[in-house]
Amino acid sequence: MPRYENFDDAINCKEATTRATTARSTIFCHGENLDGGTMFQGKRSVLSLAVFLLGIFSGSLHAALMIKVVGSTTVLPVVAEAAKQYRLMHPELRLTVSGGGSGVGVASIERGSVDIGMVSRPLSRFEIERLGNTIEVIAVARDAVAIAVSKAVFESGVQRLSLAQIAAVYRGEIRNWRELGGMDAAILVIDKEASRGTRHVFASVVLGNARARAPGATIITGSNNEEQAVISQSDQAIGMLSNAWLNDRVRAIAVGEGEAALLPTAENVAQGRYLIQRDLNILVPKNSSAAVMDFVGFLRSEKGQSIAEMVGFHPVR
Amino acid sequence: MTIVLVLGFLLYSSWPLIAQQGVAFIVGSEWYPFESLFGMLPALVGTLWAVALALMIALPCGVAAAILSAELLPARLRNPLRFSMELMAGVPSVVYGLLGIWVLLPLLESQLNLLTGRTLLAAGLLLALMILPTIMVLAEDALRGVRQSQREAAKNLGLGWNATLCRVLLPQAWPGIRVATLLASGRAMGETVAVMLVVGSIDRIPEPFYNFLQPAQTLTSRIGREMAEASVGSQHWAALLFCGLLLAVIAIVVSLAAHRKASVVV
Repeated sequence: MPRYENFDDAINCKEATTRATTARSTIFCHGENLDGGTMFQGKRSVLSLAVFLLGIFSGSLHAALMIKVVGSTTVLPVVAEAAKQYRLMHPELRLTVSGGGSGVGVASIERGSVDIGMVSRPLSRFEIERLGNTIEVIAVARDAVAIAVSKAVFESGVQRLSLAQIAAVYRGEIRNWRELGGMDAAILVIDKEASRGTRHVFASVVLGNARARAPGATIITGSNNEEQAVISQSDQAIGMLSNAWLNDRVRAIAVGEGEAALLPTAENVAQGRYLIQRDLNILVPKNSSAAVMDFVGFLRSEKGQSIAEMVGFHPVR
Repeated sequence: MTIVLVLGFLLYSSWPLIAQQGVAFIVGSEWYPFESLFGMLPALVGTLWAVALALMIALPCGVAAAILSAELLPARLRNPLRFSMELMAGVPSVVYGLLGIWVLLPLLESQLNLLTGRTLLAAGLLLALMILPTIMVLAEDALRGVRQSQREAAKNLGLGWNATLCRVLLPQAWPGIRVATLLASGRAMGETVAVMLVVGSIDRIPEPFYNFLQPAQTLTSRIGREMAEASVGSQHWAALLFCGLLLAVIAIVVSLAAHRKASVVV
């Protein structure tokens, strides 16, 4: 499912990470690019095939020097930016960072197919039972889940909602913005894939259960980028979005009862007053190599935390 | 042989689910993996709708283009037309998907006054675009395969162009057009990325069921969205592989039908 957020941070220019439907595969292109035109022309094609296979083979030999990170698209910008900076100091290391969602992060670390998983929510009880002994959960940033609406909705007067009102929208009890003090227009209710960390956090605070159904939903989106695109293209949308994806066309509304409603500002999040917030975590196997642990240390360092702030989140230290 | 292996693998992998729930879930209408509800009906209906819409649009257009190219245009114009069709067939589906998002969806929203353009219609239109080259190229081959003597005989009988087309050419080319249709429907059914980007991905049967202006889900888009997150060996995993099995079975039935019909006539 190559969603278009897939700006896999191909930090090593010789390598491209592509996500196929079921799995991520890393292709190492050693040497010159293969010229597609010569692929099927006799000897040269055999030669290029050999080079290609050699590339794959030697790529797997280099696995020790490579760190693969997969998971939440919310955590991705922090880790990707940190990886970029980290590689300036460690040019011999290869880092690939790609998205997929928190569920993918957990599943991949469980399968052992990646070195670090990214998760934008606390682990569930079952996940802790399964992974608690072998995996360490490390917070790398703090983030608010904003209730995001289209610009037109915001400007028509819907600038704050209570948790009960938001829940009513997602349960399908409120279907028109007029009922919330806005314009007379149907609500485009955007839900997220069930495995997404942002949805877990949203659903447990707003709907009372991380896996609650949302019968009022109109459509389902995946990554933050996909959802951001839908909200900005529409004039009637509401969705749940990480704080870092807000912009002029995608506005956050204040959440809470009456005057106590708060926007997900840095201050409100830092003081823990905003209602829907979470730690952005990485999952690291306890028996990780020194190289992985050093990168994790970098994420937690002052430099790493300033990177988290730079991409729109809040530091955890 | 490969088919048997693929089917065997799919059946084997989805067996944990079948063993636990039987096959009644195929007609279930609720898909909530976390609650162990694996109803296939919404995605099945969505898939069939998307394919049907695509065929309804692409078949008339494709055959018309084939007639134009095979019967009416001089060779000088025919070749560029055919070449452009072949180019169209080579465009990666994700490109069509992105085109769909940035061009088709806003257009549908504004023209049809919809809450969201992410609908079965959007999926059908995109799929139509993708299968058009298949239908056109194969139908053109079928038309050109009709013997010149048949055309001459029709002319000698005093038949006009319309009658020649409807009574001679199309009936003779029909087996080829039918195969083209079945192949194209297989392609449309299996298409994942482009559909996933525009269909809305919500597991709900449209209300009423013929309302193709609502968001829906297809089997492929469900697999595409959920496969990476399902842990291997879980019920969810098995259910997704069962979606694959359903698709494979439908595709095999379709191609068997294509094969048998074609060989009867030829």
